[in-house]
Amino acid sequence: MSVRASMFFHVLKRGLLGRGNRPLIAFIALSVAATMITAMLSLYQGLEDKLNRDFRSYGANITLAAPDGKNLPSDAVARARSILGSEALVVPFAFAVTHTNRDEPIVVAGTEMDQVRLLNSWWSVSKWPSGDDQALTGVRAESHLQVDHGGFDLAFAGRSLHLQYYGTLKTGSDDEDRVLISLKIFEHWTGIGPSILEISLPGSRDQITTAISQLQVVFPDMQVRPVRQLLQAQGAVVSRMRSIMLASTLLIALTVALCVFSTLTSSVLERRRDFAVMKAIGSSQSTVNALFAGEALTVALCAALVGYPLGSVLAALISEINFHAVVTPRLSVLPLVISTDIILALLAAIVPLARLQRIEPAGILKGE
Amino acid sequence: MFLRLLYQSFRRQQRRKLLAGIAVTLGVAVATAMIAVGVDVGDKINRELRRYGANLVVYPADAALSVRIGDQELKPASGGTHLKESSLSNIRGIFWGHNILAFAPFLETQLPTRSGTIRVIGTYFDKQLRFGTEEFSTGVEKMYPWWKVQGSWPTDGSSDLLIGSQLASRIGKQVGDSIDLLGSSARIRGILTTGGAEDNAIVAPLALVQQLLHAPDAVDKIYVSALTKPEDAFARRDPERMTAADRDRWYCSPYANSIALQLREIFPGARAQQIRQAAQNEGTILSHISGMMLLIAVASLIAAALAVSAAMATTILERRQEVGLMKSLGATASTIASLFVCEATLLALGAGILGFLLGDAIAQRIGQAVFHSGVAITPVLLPMVIFLALLVTIAGSAAAIRRALKLDPVLVLRGDA
Repeated sequence: MSVRASMFFHVLKRGLLGRGNRPLIAFIALSVAATMITAMLSLYQGLEDKLNRDFRSYGANITLAAPDGKNLPSDAVARARSILGSEALVVPFAFAVTHTNRDEPIVVAGTEMDQVRLLNSWWSVSKWPSGDDQALTGVRAESHLQVDHGGFDLAFAGRSLHLQYYGTLKTGSDDEDRVLISLKIFEHWTGIGPSILEISLPGSRDQITTAISQLQVVFPDMQVRPVRQLLQAQGAVVSRMRSIMLASTLLIALTVALCVFSTLTSSVLERRRDFAVMKAIGSSQSTVNALFAGEALTVALCAALVGYPLGSVLAALISEINFHAVVTPRLSVLPLVISTDIILALLAAIVPLARLQRIEPAGILKGE
Repeated sequence: MFLRLLYQSFRRQQRRKLLAGIAVTLGVAVATAMIAVGVDVGDKINRELRRYGANLVVYPADAALSVRIGDQELKPASGGTHLKESSLSNIRGIFWGHNILAFAPFLETQLPTRSGTIRVIGTYFDKQLRFGTEEFSTGVEKMYPWWKVQGSWPTDGSSDLLIGSQLASRIGKQVGDSIDLLGSSARIRGILTTGGAEDNAIVAPLALVQQLLHAPDAVDKIYVSALTKPEDAFARRDPERMTAADRDRWYCSPYANSIALQLREIFPGARAQQIRQAAQNEGTILSHISGMMLLIAVASLIAAALAVSAAMATTILERRQEVGLMKSLGATASTIASLFVCEATLLALGAGILGFLLGDAIAQRIGQAVFHSGVAITPVLLPMVIFLALLVTIAGSAAAIRRALKLDPVLVLRGDA
């Protein structure tokens, strides 16, 4: 290493380590900037996924229905599942009008209980049936059934079925007027197959819209419909929250950056004496500039490397507290954080340096 | 002398004071804006979600079971009990009447026509109602903004109607055509697409359907969209088993359950309940969103505090020579410290108020840009942020002041420290 270079690094090292807590303050300020920028960007990137997941708990976002009075093809469930992948929930529903002992009409739905339970997690159910002859009765339907010894009878086309009363369903919708039983029993009893598939797809509004056109191609005779109000609400809320988060990120980044800028600027200005001494003993302008820039760069890089893990932890903490979901640190944020910190530090050094260059070293040293 | 020092310090060191002032102003501004947005975002998103359908339903308690599969009502219309249309405007008068964003009554029937049996739904489109001296309008136009009408919406007093898009193409009707309902002719004003069962039905003014059914003042069901508070354990408790004080608190909280109870009170013999799909899931989304924004607000508060502290520390460290001079002229440590604290206080007050105004403006801009409405800022926030600004500024200065006081004045003045 040349003498020049080793001298340069010596001065740089002394500047960073031997000058009390001034570089420390710059370091803290830049770390705070890096932490906040990392945290906000990580949250911003993860937000859409989380909100989409929240909207999924509303239940089905697509319905696939056979034309009036017809059944779906027998392989419809399997085909829909294979097209949509394992993440999607595809729940078949079959319906029939049956009669109670008092000859009152009541709708019975056959479905896959374990799937419905996943699909409509918001249903209030006293007890989920597990056996085949166990029924889930809507709270309104219940008052119209004559339950004795824990069971009741329903008749369909002259064939009667004894069901065990098991759980009560509360939804606030038409489902309360129905009795739900397992699809297998239902088909065996009535000979009617599913007429509706309720589908819950993960993903954004656009991904769901794409899936709908895919399904329509595969099932040309069926009606494939989005649950429109749900998709619109999802789209609106996600885009609003994206804007809010973006605005907050920019606001926080800008504020922290300006505070850092004012801290760094004054600490560089304060060193005008060092600057003057260096020039007086013959170092060139570019060496002095490089020295200040080197200092700024080193501090910025260290601060970014400390701020990134801190920010990732902060983001993880916020989503753990709030969404009960783990967020993995996002490496894609790191280059952005490092470059922001470096640009910030360099800018904060350049502005005062440009001012100092216009001043004669002798003037500064004499204290003018 | 003290006041003169204070005054001169602000007059002579304008650059330093400006930098510190900017730091405090921005810190307070971002804290104000984030808290304001964080507090208000839940309410804004709540309103947003409430634009997508009802969360409460009212129907007669002894109504017969609905026997409907998909779009088809399989039970002949029975002469069951009805709710009274004339009581509808009282919905505005319940305790949480101002949280009711919209409601729409429904009366349904199946009518035989030349093209087969058709489901006819009577409702309000955009009906003018009056409660006391207050005039308001409500109906499906407000409740279901995603309903698309090709043509125009009928008026509530007319005998014009909307026809569902699937039904229209099945029986070959267009906008402007007439349709024969039980001998009287009605004009089709628009073709309706909802993505739901209404696509296969006729939607007509409530009065027209009442007339067709010879059932004046009758309503089958009322859907209500109300701003509610996310349900918690207290909301789920049974009001019948509460103490009087708890019951009052429950009744006066805008829970879906308590609004449902208030609706039951104006429709005797009716059942009112939450539509769980809307009520339950909205609560989750709302609490997630407002929780996240509040946590971010707290994090940004801490970040702003650290940034302001750093800026304050730098400005004081720069003034070691001044401290040295004052000490060598005989000032006590407490005099010097109180001078700095006074300076910091003045700075915090001035910059804090400025920052609050700036933060307010930023929050309004965000609200306008994202939700097209301003953000409500509680006046309590002003003393709160000023106090925080004071705390942060003084705390940020304290360590630096202590350090500056510890230095030997001789070394400082010689420039060796």
